[in-house]
Amino acid sequence: MELGFYLSGLVAVLATVGLISGSSPVHAVVYLIVSLIAVALVFFALGAPFAGALEIIVYAGAIMVLFVFVVMMLNLRPEAKRDPLWLRPGYWLGPSLLALVLLVALVALISDGQAGMTIDGELITARDIGLTLFGPWLIVVELAAILLLAALVTASHVGRRNKPRGNRNRGGTR
Amino acid sequence: MLTLIDLVGLLPLLIVASTAVLVMLGVAWRRHHGGTAAVTVSGLALALASLPLASAAPSSPPLMIFDGLALMGSALVLVSGLFIAAMSHGYLAGYRGPREEFYLLLLCAVTGALGLVASNHLATLFISLELLSMPLYGMVAYSFRTERSLEAGIKYLILSAAATAFLLFGMALIYARTGHLELTALAAGVAGSPDPWILGGAALLLVGLGFKLSIIPFHQWTPDVYQGGLAPATTVLATVSKLAVFLVLLRLVLVAPVFGSGWLLGLISLLALLSMFGGNLLALFQPDLKRLLGYSSIAHMGYLLVAVIVGGPLALETTGVYLFTYIVATMGAFGVIMHVSGTGSGEDASGLHHYRGLFWHSPWLAALLTLSMLSLAGIPLTAGFFGKFYIIALGVEGSRWWLVGGIVIGSVIGLFYYLRVIVTLYLREPGMQQAVADAGRGRVEKLALLIVAVSILLLGIYPVPFIDWVAGLAWAARLL
Repeated sequence: MELGFYLSGLVAVLATVGLISGSSPVHAVVYLIVSLIAVALVFFALGAPFAGALEIIVYAGAIMVLFVFVVMMLNLRPEAKRDPLWLRPGYWLGPSLLALVLLVALVALISDGQAGMTIDGELITARDIGLTLFGPWLIVVELAAILLLAALVTASHVGRRNKPRGNRNRGGTR
Repeated sequence: MLTLIDLVGLLPLLIVASTAVLVMLGVAWRRHHGGTAAVTVSGLALALASLPLASAAPSSPPLMIFDGLALMGSALVLVSGLFIAAMSHGYLAGYRGPREEFYLLLLCAVTGALGLVASNHLATLFISLELLSMPLYGMVAYSFRTERSLEAGIKYLILSAAATAFLLFGMALIYARTGHLELTALAAGVAGSPDPWILGGAALLLVGLGFKLSIIPFHQWTPDVYQGGLAPATTVLATVSKLAVFLVLLRLVLVAPVFGSGWLLGLISLLALLSMFGGNLLALFQPDLKRLLGYSSIAHMGYLLVAVIVGGPLALETTGVYLFTYIVATMGAFGVIMHVSGTGSGEDASGLHHYRGLFWHSPWLAALLTLSMLSLAGIPLTAGFFGKFYIIALGVEGSRWWLVGGIVIGSVIGLFYYLRVIVTLYLREPGMQQAVADAGRGRVEKLALLIVAVSILLLGIYPVPFIDWVAGLAWAARLL
């Protein structure tokens, strides 16, 4: 378990370094996916399978797909120019190696443990989390909802098109 | 469980949050600047009016606590929020583009501040702090077509995220050692001899909160964000954000004994001294009024940290009095800036040269700015004097002579640049007849400015009722 924890942690750090040092958004997203999967493995190694599964489903699964869509829709370079660039080994080698390390760690962990071994300690299930969130922690959920609203409004305001639209009072253009 | 009775205590927060939702629905239906501002102001006023009701709440909901400290914080947050909402209407009148979102973000920030001052759990503390900061990114970068505003917003966003990482790591360390997130349980968990992990966690928490307070080693963002941000957004930063974060820091120190350990207090004392001197010295020859106020806020936070260091029964009362006097003076200064500038021309009128000879064409504004500067400097007959008096009395009582010396020297340095601003206002500039654009500013803004001016004077001349109120709250908070 220690091996899996430290190896995944290392992979997470390296992948994040790759994420912020790259210049192409698509490659950065690939690194980010590797980083998130590594963090999920850290959760599994710590004995928190629910958090690990959520990390993969929500972050690596849903949010990253959204990221990739946004990057593709922005489509910063013409298609013809970009395609051969993608196939250069410098771009896919790093993330693949890191993912390979994760795979090795996972396989090592599975082959190491005997069948039927379980995680001891209190297993936190979706039910427990739901009961906590919508019981005593309700106020935190509500505050988080307002937080998301504020983030959404900020994003929609700053991401507005160059010409101010929908402003009846003035309708000024720049 | 959250019961119906708990909701009574939450009433101010609920009212502000539902006003935010109402504003959002209103914007979705029809954009109307005046109407949005009116709804915002009345929502905040309603929340303020519901405070006495909330203070009588029999119990606190889980993860929150409604004691005197929270009540005092809520009152200060709502008063500043009201002022900013009222002033924003005139300020944003000249803004090209959608103006209604600003009020929505303001309401979200106020909700976060209300949650923060009442948080009794690291989870609420964290989420509320984020809720306070998140709208501020949008507010600072609101006129994102001007370069400075966008730059300020991005700077604040990135540095704030870094500070949040420190805060979270500190919480994780403390949680790993104690197994508690609840502040009271956490205090009991660390009651023994604090080990390095807990001390490290506490220090990291201090870094995270110190960033928001712009204590000196973490202050680099302050001048740029103050200068670049829209004046109302900067006012939120200088008042609502600072006071809520400071109160939560005070709560942490009062509740958790780990902050009372020797070297951590030594560290805070060092930061306080650095902030007093650094803030004042950096402001000394500053030609930009907003930057100057940013540096001055660093110095003021340094003075306030004395209350955290000394602690004890008087610290709460001191904090209340000082914070209120600081906020009133800051609101006065930023109110004048908001009134003089407008986003119609893009950037704010923040350079001191804009205020040269202000007295000769708008004497009332000049009088208010003079009053605010005198109050920030701590001159008698203004509110600031009592704040400074309390802080020095507290330092003397705790026999922290270094800090008292720092306050005295810092105030002397501060006097120089506050007076420099005042002198600028009365310089007569030959051939300078560009009057401040006074059109489009309604009665509400003038009323808000008048109230601020009167309260600076009133608190300076007859502060007894206010001090009694704060002392009563502080006394109530100590019982818990």
